[in-house]
Amino acid sequence: MNILPILALQNIKNIEMKKFIYIQLIFAFSLSTFASEENTNSLYFDSNPFYKYTYEDCDFCGCGSSGGGMGYGTVGNENFIGLRYIYQSYKSRDGIFNNSPWVDENFNTLQLWGKIPVTKKLSLTAIVPYHFHNREFINNTTQRIDGLGDISILAFYSVITPVPDGLFENQQSKYKHSLELGGGIKIPTGDYNRSNNAGSVNPSFQVGTGSYDYVAALNYSVGYKNWGLGFMTNYTFKTENKDEYHFGDQFTYGVNLSKVYNTVKIDKIIPFIGLAGEVFNENESYGLPVADTQGSVIFTRIGTELSLGKLSTGVNFMLPLTQNLNSGNVEANYRLGLHLNYTL
Amino acid sequence: MIEYLLILYNKMKSLKNIQYLFLALSILTISCSTDDDSSENLSGENNLTMEFDNSVNGDDLILNTTAYTNSNGERITINRFNYIVSNFVLIDSEGNEFTYPKDESYFVISEEAGLNEVQLTNIPAGEYVALRFGVGVDQEKYLQGAEGQGDFLQTAESTNMLWSWLTGYKFLNFEGSFTTAANIEAQDFKIHMGSHGSSLDNYKEFTVDLPTKALVSSNLSPIVHFKVDANQILDGQNKILLSEKSVVMIDEVKSPQIATNAAAMFSVDHIHNGENHDH
Repeated sequence: MNILPILALQNIKNIEMKKFIYIQLIFAFSLSTFASEENTNSLYFDSNPFYKYTYEDCDFCGCGSSGGGMGYGTVGNENFIGLRYIYQSYKSRDGIFNNSPWVDENFNTLQLWGKIPVTKKLSLTAIVPYHFHNREFINNTTQRIDGLGDISILAFYSVITPVPDGLFENQQSKYKHSLELGGGIKIPTGDYNRSNNAGSVNPSFQVGTGSYDYVAALNYSVGYKNWGLGFMTNYTFKTENKDEYHFGDQFTYGVNLSKVYNTVKIDKIIPFIGLAGEVFNENESYGLPVADTQGSVIFTRIGTELSLGKLSTGVNFMLPLTQNLNSGNVEANYRLGLHLNYTL
Repeated sequence: MIEYLLILYNKMKSLKNIQYLFLALSILTISCSTDDDSSENLSGENNLTMEFDNSVNGDDLILNTTAYTNSNGERITINRFNYIVSNFVLIDSEGNEFTYPKDESYFVISEEAGLNEVQLTNIPAGEYVALRFGVGVDQEKYLQGAEGQGDFLQTAESTNMLWSWLTGYKFLNFEGSFTTAANIEAQDFKIHMGSHGSSLDNYKEFTVDLPTKALVSSNLSPIVHFKVDANQILDGQNKILLSEKSVVMIDEVKSPQIATNAAAMFSVDHIHNGENHDH
């Protein structure tokens, strides 16, 4: 219903196409709402509606260990292994003048991701990204970079775990909440090429930061009946790489409102809407600040998840609400994410 | 790092205490906040490249194309924008000055000829914070006579930067056409500013601060990216009305004013520190 062919999405440049996707998503959202109405109180009713964001690694600046701020969330199925595709569209100014040309940048990421249980309370999360980015300059030359990105490994500890509902009424609760704290590392498995940082164009056109970066993360979610509200935030401490370039630290946060619907044909349909924000600190080169490298962006997000047996799939679309990246020299157009997960 | 996490996990298992998680987080935090200060000792010597990116009022300058209205109410199309930069002095963070060898310190920047880059070679290692240089050719150099000019005389001649040997160099050759509200018919203008032999000295030096330090060492060769605003020539500190005089060459009043304006064209937009071999 809502899985668009990846190939068609690769080079969506015009606004019409963007509108089309947005409409498609809204359609999917409302359709799933509609489809479920009649079944909400059936025996498929599921009272664990948390839409969880275990770890949201955005990463535009510093190229993305995973990319896209698309959320690392699947519903209910706590532990999984899966594949995700993220497309990010940017434009950045090639030059230092008001009338300098804009360069279209396409950031594509295909990633293997998973959340593996260690104990009831502790889990490990890993992201292995493969990037294939390109940008087209005004003289019609295209620059491409591709390769393995930076692998992230995080541990999450569940501080508050929601109690599963029992069969009897006194074993059921309307409100549930969960809190997870996590920390981990991003390893410089991706190539970092300093010459991509030399021009006036987007310094984040890389497949890796070349640095060991450390992540602290917090996820909180609260559920009421089949509604879920999730907050997630993480902070990435970036370090100087061996080429003495130091990407600025990154703060990511997001909030999502979701609702779980259960149907006979599809086990769960979970549409959601939310906001996602990213704040970037200034980069440093040889210990000196690099002008016009800090910034922030806030996206609106809409998407839906479907689960069928052990499989779940989702689509996720993000449009910037407000942004000021690299002193206006970089603009995020939109992001799109698709995933297919297998519940362990 | 993974070991940390495993140790952490075992501890948590036995103690069920999330304090360890915070401990782990603080370890992560500490381990990444290592030395940020890269003021390592710089040694050796290397090139310093200067890129002169010509512009008008914040827009990229495109000859014969860009038309803009200045604050004098004159709409200008630029067809030629050439100038001489000279006598470079590099100033480091401690105030020490390195004077580039005078005989090699004269360069023509020409938008039409695509001359936008100047490379200073054998610059001693250092953290440079400012550059001092001039627009044009100083009297001392001029008085060395035609032989004393070396190859530069040829360069100046081929880039329209010389009137004649006796009259001297054009420090600035700025040409195009303009219209005014009163006169919408495009009219040519020519601004040729120079010293006119040794009778009128229009050579001016000035200091430009760098937004970040330019690091030079045996493996660091910075690029200093100048933003040069041609609008300053007519619309700078002194207002030069083309409708008053559209051809300014030897003019005891306007030429010095233009020289003062031209000295304010230069600012440094950014520095590329690094190896910059392939620039």
